[in-house]
Amino acid sequence: MADISQAPPNGVMRIAQTSLHAEGGCSALLRMPGLAASGDDSEQLGLATPQFQDLSLGPVAFHTASSNTRLMVSAVAVLTLVQSLAYDSADVLFETAAGVLIGGVLYLITKCAVAEGAGRPYCYWLTLQPPAR
Amino acid sequence: MQNAKDTFYEALRNRIIAVNPERTTVVRGITRPAILVEENELPTEFHLADCFRLRWLQTTTDANGCMPLLTMSCAIEYETAGSQGNGGMDRGRMLAQMDGELLAALNPWPQYTQKYNYTPLPEGKPATPMATNIWWGEPAFGTIEVKQNRLARTVTVAVMSYQEAGEL
Repeated sequence: MADISQAPPNGVMRIAQTSLHAEGGCSALLRMPGLAASGDDSEQLGLATPQFQDLSLGPVAFHTASSNTRLMVSAVAVLTLVQSLAYDSADVLFETAAGVLIGGVLYLITKCAVAEGAGRPYCYWLTLQPPAR
Repeated sequence: MQNAKDTFYEALRNRIIAVNPERTTVVRGITRPAILVEENELPTEFHLADCFRLRWLQTTTDANGCMPLLTMSCAIEYETAGSQGNGGMDRGRMLAQMDGELLAALNPWPQYTQKYNYTPLPEGKPATPMATNIWWGEPAFGTIEVKQNRLARTVTVAVMSYQEAGEL
């Protein structure tokens, strides 16, 4: 996947960001777990209480049809998070995330696909799994 | 039952460290031994490469003795994409290395250890030794599974323990 952590947003990325703003897309929060405690066995045994922080993904497009749930996120928002949290790439960011909060419901991220224009990503498609009922 | 699971994980983790102290991974920003219990971590669809993942499967009980005898099946899954420098062409060798490390951790005598209760750990207290041991059988290595650029294998091992009076 193309690395978006270094260069500033280009025109295609700004167009995607503007489109999502203009369509009045819904808001979503990326739930990130806090750092684990080093050398703490209780963390490894499920005895610790992890801390989370919810970070805004900006306006997003949420699509759900039968068992297919997807979220379109602008690359500008992802770039901001990758840089502020000092992650190596968007892949690592989404693999580390605990999930996405939409309307108070936590969805698990199962897959991440990138849409590129002019050699740079302009949006990300996240495939989500709703909580079991 | 949970005490037996925790004890087996701790024993296996310490043995893996002794076999290969370089086998580490990063979980939630912290470098730790590359072995984890899936049910003790955040739910995720993304599997860490070069890391042993324990998953507990079925449990059977034999209540004929003075204490119930539990037999829990543990699946240890691991996968590797090889090393970047070799373009992944050494993924077979790296999988074989993980096979060897796991075998070296599970096979040697003794295949038992004293059971501990780890619930005092969050209070800063040490684990409490219990009256009985846990022990495990021979590992059964499954077939290699090809996952795009990764090779994966699942090893199953039976972990046995007695359920002590008052233990949940």
